[in-house]
Amino acid sequence: MSQRKWWTVVAVMVVMSLLFTACGNDKDKEEPTEAAGPAKVEEPKIEKITLKVWAQANEVEHWRADGPAQAAADVTDFDITVEPGNDDAGWGDYKKKVTLAADAGEGPAIAVSGHEDVPVWGNAGYIVDFEFCRNKYPEFDDVIPGLWDSVTWQGKLWGVPQDTEARPMYFNKTKLKELGWSDADIAALPDKIKNGEFTLDDLIATAKEAVEKGVVEPGYGYWHRPSKGGDYVQYYFSYGGRLYDPDQDKLVLDKGALLDWYKFQRRLVDEGITPENYIGTEWSIWHDTVSHGNALFWNGGVWQWADWAANYVADLGGQDYLFDFIGYALQPSGIAGQPGGTLSHPLVYMIMSEKASGGKTQDAACALLAKTTTAEINTLHAVGSTHLGVVKAQANYPDYAADRLLSETLYMLDYNYYQPNHVQYGPYFDIIWDGMVKAENGDLSPEKAVDEVVKMMEVELEGFVIIED
Amino acid sequence: MAATGQTIAAAPPQEGLRSKLRSASTGFWFMSPALLLVIVFFFIPSIIIFGLSLTNLSTATGFQNWDWIGFKNYEKIFNHPSTKTIAQATIIYVVATLTLFNVGMALLVALLSTHIPKRAGFVFRTLWLLPRITPSVVYIMMWKFMSAAEPYGILNRYLPFLFDGKNLLPNSPWVFVILTNGFVGASFGMILFASAIESIPKDYMMAAMVDGCNIWHRIRYVILPALRWPLLFVTTYQTLSLLTSFEQILLLTDGEFGTEVWSLWAYHRALNNYWGNFQWGFGAALAVIMVVIGVVAAVAYMRFFQFDELVQEPRIEAL
Repeated sequence: MSQRKWWTVVAVMVVMSLLFTACGNDKDKEEPTEAAGPAKVEEPKIEKITLKVWAQANEVEHWRADGPAQAAADVTDFDITVEPGNDDAGWGDYKKKVTLAADAGEGPAIAVSGHEDVPVWGNAGYIVDFEFCRNKYPEFDDVIPGLWDSVTWQGKLWGVPQDTEARPMYFNKTKLKELGWSDADIAALPDKIKNGEFTLDDLIATAKEAVEKGVVEPGYGYWHRPSKGGDYVQYYFSYGGRLYDPDQDKLVLDKGALLDWYKFQRRLVDEGITPENYIGTEWSIWHDTVSHGNALFWNGGVWQWADWAANYVADLGGQDYLFDFIGYALQPSGIAGQPGGTLSHPLVYMIMSEKASGGKTQDAACALLAKTTTAEINTLHAVGSTHLGVVKAQANYPDYAADRLLSETLYMLDYNYYQPNHVQYGPYFDIIWDGMVKAENGDLSPEKAVDEVVKMMEVELEGFVIIED
Repeated sequence: MAATGQTIAAAPPQEGLRSKLRSASTGFWFMSPALLLVIVFFFIPSIIIFGLSLTNLSTATGFQNWDWIGFKNYEKIFNHPSTKTIAQATIIYVVATLTLFNVGMALLVALLSTHIPKRAGFVFRTLWLLPRITPSVVYIMMWKFMSAAEPYGILNRYLPFLFDGKNLLPNSPWVFVILTNGFVGASFGMILFASAIESIPKDYMMAAMVDGCNIWHRIRYVILPALRWPLLFVTTYQTLSLLTSFEQILLLTDGEFGTEVWSLWAYHRALNNYWGNFQWGFGAALAVIMVVIGVVAAVAYMRFFQFDELVQEPRIEAL
C-alpha cells in the first residue's frame, strides 16, 4: 500500500471515530442512565435577547425609547437587554430611517411612530399585527379603550399606544380681564366651549375687540400653529368635516367644511387678529410670544407646556408663571351648539416583522411592551414631556395626578378625534395644507383654493378619496 | 509565395489600424477613471431611477408589494395641477440666481477685485466666501431672523422706515430664495473668473491701453473673450447645480409660498413628507425628467458656446 493510501485510510478512520463519539455523547445527554444518579432538575432556560427600540424624541421625550429599556428589568419570561435609540432629526428623517432600515432587514425590534404609519407600514409588511400580543398580558387591559381605535386598521390592532395628547385652545386670562371679562366669565369659558356656546366666530369677535381696544397688539389676537402639522385638521373637524369613510376604507373630502375652514383662516388675517404672512414664523418666536403672554388666544399642544416652562419662562417662575395667566379649553367648534373637540395624535409602539428587523424577536418585544404599558413607566414620559397618559391607572397614579396640567386636560380625551389610518393620508394632508396656506396668505381666494385641492385630489388620489359637496 | 505576398501587401493597413487602436486605447486608459465614475454614479443610477419611475413603489407597497405601472407616473406629472407652477418656479429660481449672482455677481466681483490693489482684492474675495463656509442651517437661521416680523426681525427692527413690521419672507419669498442661494453660489464663479482674469498676459492689457482702450473696452474686447471657457463652465455647471439643488429652499421655506422647485418636489415626494408614505416611484419619475432636462441643457450650452472650438487641438502642434 502506498503512503498516500495509508494516509487516506487513517483520515477516514479518524473522521468515523469522531462521528461515532459525537453520536454517543448525544445519546448520553438525552437518556441519562439510572446508574448516573438522579438527574438534576434544570430551571427552564430564559432566552437572552437584545432588542432595538427606536423613537423620534427630543430631550424631554427620551422615555419613548428609554421607558422600554427601564421596563426590561420587569420582564420575567425573557432576559431582555434594550438598545434604545432616540432620534431628534425630525419626523420625516426618522420615518425615512425606519422604512429604509426595514426594507434592508435591519430595522429595530420595536419602532415608535405616529398611528398614521400603521396602514403604511402594515401594508408594506414592516410591522406585525398586534392581535397575537393583545391578550397575552393583562397589562394591556388597562389601556384607555378609545386609544385602541388609533391603532386599528382593517379590523385588527397593529400596535399599542405610547402617548397621546390634547391640542387645547389656550387663552390669556390677564388679557381677557383687561378686556372686561370677570373671573367667573373666564372660568366658565372651557365649559362654554365644551357646550358649543363659544364658537370660532366668537373667538374672532373677542380677539378683534381686544385688538381694537389695544389690549393686544394688532395681529396678536389669535396665533395658530405657524407651520405644517395635524393641528389644522381641527378646524376642518370644527366645521363638520370628516376625513375617512371606514365602510369604504376611503378618505373623504367634504368641500363645504373645507371651504368654511379656508374662509376662517383668511378671516383671521382680514380681521387683523393674526399677522399677515404669518405661516413660516420661526417656532422660537412663536413659543416666546405665547409663553410671555403677548397673544390673546392660541392653539397649541399640551406637550408644549413643559417646553415653555423649561426653555422660555424658567426665569419668571416656570409652570407657576404659566398657570397664573394661561387657561386652556377644547378647540371651539365652528358650528353653534356643537361641542368643541381636540385632535389626538397618539404615538404607538409597533412590533417590527422578522423580515424588517432581521430577527425572531416578536414574542420578546410583546413581553417588553406589556411591562412598558404601565402607569409607572408611562408616567415617566407623560410627566416629563407633558403628554397625556395611555393607561387608566394613571388617573390615580400619584406622580401623574400631581401634575395639574395633565389632570385638568385629561377630560379632553372624551372629545378627541384622530386622523385616519389610511395609506394615502400623507399625500391627502399635503394637498389640503397647501390649499390652506394659499387661502390664508391671500394667494388664492378660499373658493379657488378648494377648487385647486379638488383637482389635485382627482389627479393624485384617484380611487382613494370620496369628494363630497 | 502568393500567400506571403498577400500578407506583405496587407501588412501596412493592419499596422496602421493597430497604431490607431493603440493610440485610442491610450486615450481610453487616461479617460477610464472619469468614465468609471460617470458610469457608476450617473448612468447606472439613471437607469435604476428610470426603472423605479415605472413602478408604484412607495412606503405603502414596501419592496415586496409593488407593481410595474408603465408610464402612469409620467401621466400623473403631465396632468398634475402643480406641474406648471413648479416648472415656472424652477425657471425663475435657476435663471434669476444664475444671471444675477452665480454668473453676474461672480463676474462683477471678480472684475472689481482684480482691478484694485491685490491685497484688498484678496480680502474682498475672502468676504464673499463667508456664506459658502457658513453651515447651511446657521446661514439660513440668520436670514430667517433678518426677515422675521417685529420685534424679532433685524430688518423690521432697525429699518422701520423701510419695512412695515410684517414677516418679510412670505411676502417676498423669491427675493430671499435668490439672495440666500446667490450669496453662496457667487463665490464659485468669482474664484474661477478672478484667476482667469489674473492669468491674462499683461502684454494684452498694456497693448490695449496703448491703443487707447478705456476700462470698458478692455473688459469687452480683452477680458470677456479670454473668459469664454470659464464662462461656459460656470454657466453650465451652475445651471445643472441649481436645477438639482434645494438645500437653502428646504431650510428657508420648505417649498412654501410658491417656492417649491422641481428637485424639492421630487425630494418631498420620494424622501421626506410630513406624514410619511414616501412615493419612490413618483419621485423617481420627477427625477428622470430633471435628468433629461439637465442633459438637454448641457448639450445646448455646449453648442451655444461652441465647445468644439474651445477644446480643439492647438494648431501649432497639429502642424
